[in-house]
Amino acid sequence: MLLRTEKLTKSFGGLIAVKSVDLKVNQGEILGIIGPNGAGKTTLTNLISGVFYPTEGRIHFEDKDITFVPAHLRARMGIARTFQLVRPLRDFTAFENVVVSCLFARGESLREARKSARKICELVELDQPERRLDRLTVFELKKLEIARALGCQPKLLILDEVMAGLNFEEMQRMIQLVKSLREKQITICVIEHVMSVISQLTDRVVVLDRGEIIAEGPYEKVAHDPKVITAYLGEEA
Amino acid sequence: MKRNFVGYVVLAIALFLIALLRPYAFFYGVQRGSLYGLVALPLALILGIVGLLNLAHGEFLTLSLYMTYLLFTKWGMDPLVSPAVTVPLLLAFGFVVYKLVIERSLKTHHLNLLLLTFGVSIVMVESLNIWWTSRPRNIYVPYASTSVNIFGVYVGGYEFLYTIAVVLVLTGLLLFLKKTRLGQATYAVGQNPKGAAIVGINVKFVYAFVFSLAAGLVALAGALLSVRSSIFPQAGGPFTMKSFSLTAMAGLGNLPGIVLAGIVLGIAEEFVKSIPGYTGWADLVFFVVLIAAIVFRAFGRREG
Amino acid sequence: MKYFMIAIVCVLCFLLPFFVGAYLIHVLTSIMIFLSLALSWDMMLRTGQLSFGIAGFFGLGAYASIIAVDDFSIDPLWSILVAAGFAALIALALGWIVLRLREIYFAITTLALSSVFMIFARNLSDLTGGSAGKVLYESIFKGDSIKIYWLVLSVALTVILVSELFQRTRIRFAINAIRDDEIAAKCSGVNIFKYLLFVFVLTSAIQGAVGALYAQQYAFVEPESTFSANFLLLPMSMALVGGIYSSLGPIIGAVVLGLASEYLKLIMPYGHLIIYGLILVLTIMFLPRGIYGTVVNRIAAKR
Repeated sequence: MLLRTEKLTKSFGGLIAVKSVDLKVNQGEILGIIGPNGAGKTTLTNLISGVFYPTEGRIHFEDKDITFVPAHLRARMGIARTFQLVRPLRDFTAFENVVVSCLFARGESLREARKSARKICELVELDQPERRLDRLTVFELKKLEIARALGCQPKLLILDEVMAGLNFEEMQRMIQLVKSLREKQITICVIEHVMSVISQLTDRVVVLDRGEIIAEGPYEKVAHDPKVITAYLGEEA
Repeated sequence: MKRNFVGYVVLAIALFLIALLRPYAFFYGVQRGSLYGLVALPLALILGIVGLLNLAHGEFLTLSLYMTYLLFTKWGMDPLVSPAVTVPLLLAFGFVVYKLVIERSLKTHHLNLLLLTFGVSIVMVESLNIWWTSRPRNIYVPYASTSVNIFGVYVGGYEFLYTIAVVLVLTGLLLFLKKTRLGQATYAVGQNPKGAAIVGINVKFVYAFVFSLAAGLVALAGALLSVRSSIFPQAGGPFTMKSFSLTAMAGLGNLPGIVLAGIVLGIAEEFVKSIPGYTGWADLVFFVVLIAAIVFRAFGRREG
Repeated sequence: MKYFMIAIVCVLCFLLPFFVGAYLIHVLTSIMIFLSLALSWDMMLRTGQLSFGIAGFFGLGAYASIIAVDDFSIDPLWSILVAAGFAALIALALGWIVLRLREIYFAITTLALSSVFMIFARNLSDLTGGSAGKVLYESIFKGDSIKIYWLVLSVALTVILVSELFQRTRIRFAINAIRDDEIAAKCSGVNIFKYLLFVFVLTSAIQGAVGALYAQQYAFVEPESTFSANFLLLPMSMALVGGIYSSLGPIIGAVVLGLASEYLKLIMPYGHLIIYGLILVLTIMFLPRGIYGTVVNRIAAKR
């Protein structure tokens, strides 16, 4: 098991965003995390990547307790993530964005980092990476997010809604990209709203609702779970 | 909640002890602290609603001191009457500064705004320096040096006007924010400017209004202070930092807290001053409290 | 070729005293003092933190150096290193706390720290001479203005070198990332606190050293003038006018404003600071990228 959370809870003031979540991520799988808006998916990502510390509970990564390990050290341990709302570093070119994570998460020298970053840009098919960021399309920005995450040489890669805002063709190319990453022995968590993507990509799905896990298993099974349908359609349905 | 309560009890006991042991420090502190609160309220208003820390705040106070001085020497206008003139003048001045300098920079990086107001403060101090030189000036009116007897302690009576004024201004501001339409709109803008714009509030107008209002309130404080302070170009400067200290200590949006913090700090300052040999260290009180308050808050919401 | 040119310019700077008069040397010395401060302020700003504390660390260094010479009979030249070390130590201790703060809170706290330093200087009379300050028997190098020029030039060149190292090594990637987006930076493995502390301590040490240089040049310290807001206002204006986030920008700004201020002092001996205030305001309003930044942008746009 690569990652395990134990009764993970996060509250903001009175609002409980994530409630006693026991999440398990197995080595080499692609795990889907789904749930309606406000279910706590992004908060969970933030907890795992170390942007927040949890209110209660623990996080274990490769059998080490990382609950209060700072975010930059988690990046160096191999936990990488993308951001739902892309957060590129605006003063850099696309290429330099990737250099940053190669430099600091991998601890490479400037020369090595440039070389690795070039390879990563080729891998995610980011053309003309020396461009300024305001010239990039949404698809390219999403690929840049992934490229920067790959700069961390991740063992676990959390993709927070990378399909949002993409057209059908771009989505297919993104799916191919994610599949190719799995072949590189990267364990992947996909947080997604687009169900067709989840069904094509994932081995297993976890459903969150109001901060709690309400179902898990293969997509076909979960999709027909009455609890899941209720969560998506509301109590009345 | 419980911890807060204990804090207040400890505070009350400490203040009572000071009042008992060093009554002069206590009364002077209350007076001084009321003045701090009076000057800090407008700064907090701008910081809370426009989201702008006006580093020229103290210079607005200096300007109003000079205006009062001018009215007094040229036309013999009593400083307590002069707000009728200086408040509208500073309202207008605040509006002009806002429109001319601040508004067009609101969209840029907010550190730019900080630098901008810092520049404005320099320009104001130096302009005053050029026009009126650095020579300190004073306004003498007989009623400013009367003293009153409180439980056998003789303290200046005039300074209690600060206390009356701060209570009036605070009540006025609270009523305005809660009861009037414009006040509610102002409050909404402070909470969420984008949301306020969506529901049809003219955010730009509210900003300009708050900035001018704050400048006008400063003029009120300036008129009261003018007879008890030397008037020179740097006279108002220290008030900027003190006002910000109070705001940071009370927390944004907590207007009554600012006045309370002002009084507590005023007493603490006077208390340190009353210890023989430590007079010079009294200025440190504010900075220590400022740094402690800011750091305490920063650690309170610390994450990852 | 480029490095050859730079080397030539450096050598010329060192040889300058043999060709120009004493007045110009004096002006250049003062410009380089402010240039070093401007660069050190900009280096901190590159991390996204606006510091109002440079006058504070400048004054701290000035006092440390004068006290080191007067009370501990340390050689004036070494006292500059002592001052840098002292400022660095204080910055290290305060940095643990102050660098948890951001934006206006950081800016105001650093401004408050300057005042705190001044209050200490004024009240620890036994050590600092109180509000009268402290006067040394003689200036460094017995007041030889050419030697002082060389010393200040060496320090300024060192500061420029450090600033360029910031721009050419991994440090640039770290501090730019922190300025742009701290969350994205830390998720990319950047140790934000380590870099902020490093830059804060280093720039404070520079400010301390420059303060020591200035104090040794005039052989006295006094609370009001040593902690004067000029040592904050002028460097900030210079960096902003020249162009922030670069080495060349503050250099250009320091030379332009430095020469301009000499001229201003001649025609307007009293209150010429108002010009600096106006320049600060107008630059932020109309030329937010400064001279250098605007030129670079124009060239980039043409490509």
